[in-house]
Amino acid sequence: MNDTSSRNGKYFDIDEILIEEELVPVVFHKSANGVKVDPSAEKDCVDEGAKVELPFWLSQELYLRQAVSINVPACFNQKTRREIQADAANVDLRSRCPYFYEFGCKIAPIVGDRTIGKMLLSTFQMRYKDILTKAHTAAYAVASKFLAVLTKEETNLYEAAQSSMAAFKKWRIGGPRIQRASVLGRKRKPID
Amino acid sequence: MAGQSDPHVSLFSPPEVEFMAEDELVEIVPNMRMDPLNFICGDFGPFYPQIPVKVPLWLAAALKKRGKCTIRPPQWMSIENLTKVLEGEREDRGTFQAVPFHYIEISRLLFDHARDDIPDIYMVRSLIEDIRDVRLHKVETNLEKFSATSAVKIAHLSAMEVNVVRPFVVRALQAFYKHDNPVLMVDLDSVSDRQSHVTRQRQMPNNAQKQPLKRR
Repeated sequence: MNDTSSRNGKYFDIDEILIEEELVPVVFHKSANGVKVDPSAEKDCVDEGAKVELPFWLSQELYLRQAVSINVPACFNQKTRREIQADAANVDLRSRCPYFYEFGCKIAPIVGDRTIGKMLLSTFQMRYKDILTKAHTAAYAVASKFLAVLTKEETNLYEAAQSSMAAFKKWRIGGPRIQRASVLGRKRKPID
Repeated sequence: MAGQSDPHVSLFSPPEVEFMAEDELVEIVPNMRMDPLNFICGDFGPFYPQIPVKVPLWLAAALKKRGKCTIRPPQWMSIENLTKVLEGEREDRGTFQAVPFHYIEISRLLFDHARDDIPDIYMVRSLIEDIRDVRLHKVETNLEKFSATSAVKIAHLSAMEVNVVRPFVVRALQAFYKHDNPVLMVDLDSVSDRQSHVTRQRQMPNNAQKQPLKRR
């Protein structure tokens, strides 16, 4: 698929921007002068072999210029994967990475780890059922606790299901079919 | 045509679905005399007292409101038929019974506008509500089943049922589709995929040659 057009299409997408803000651990291959990556550093330079965390958008560009190599971020490490395997539905993915899936899709080709894609799919498969059942049944108090562990993508999914169900229930109960426009109710101001 | 209520989601609001259902034809028995009505959607009438005629639901509702006709409930709204459908829905967990595409909307419109024209309205209403609840539950269990698919086929779903699950299903399928296709994830990935394929193919014959050498 044409990558450039899809990227342009999402250029102003706020979610896209936030995804690229996620921090990625990188190792510098070259020493760089005049950059202050770490605010507590003494000098304005980064040594060769320094390990730092940079936002995704920056590390991607540096990676393409072969200035850094990118490591797998903490949210895709073995510990998280084991937790997901144990009980995917209850893992707090939001605190690890609010854009778990999208970020995973972006980082997977760069770190060259093809298991990430499979892990994302199986995670989504397992968590999907819970979102579905909770969206249509759960009461609000239960739901808010459940919502706290969802990633942004899952929250969107949950809200989509819930709002359409709520709209249907509202219609079913009934009420006035024709609503008066708010403009009509107003009184005209007297003209001096 | 997309819903007018929310420009961002390709979703009809329930009132919009109801609006579309108002085009369905119902039979009315007028109690007045009137010339045929010529609309863009067709010609209806002429209307003679006590002679049944088919008109769109919106027209029927408008005439009913003015006390100019009685509405004949559709065939499928009989107690026998509804009980049969409900039993069928409860027995067969996998599939859906064939019901009119707009049964939820039509029944609600008739309950609102023509409650005195429907015999045994309480029974009919509770039967339809039962059918609707059973079917909605079935839709949910149906959706639970699918995983890693990019298309779903469920026969005999009605307009309102589809509309309720549409936003969820569309998003879920998009996510499944995306995560199931490594090629779609990013171009780089497909490239490295191809590269590894090539190297694997190249290595295969080498190994095949090496093995007999070792045996000697």
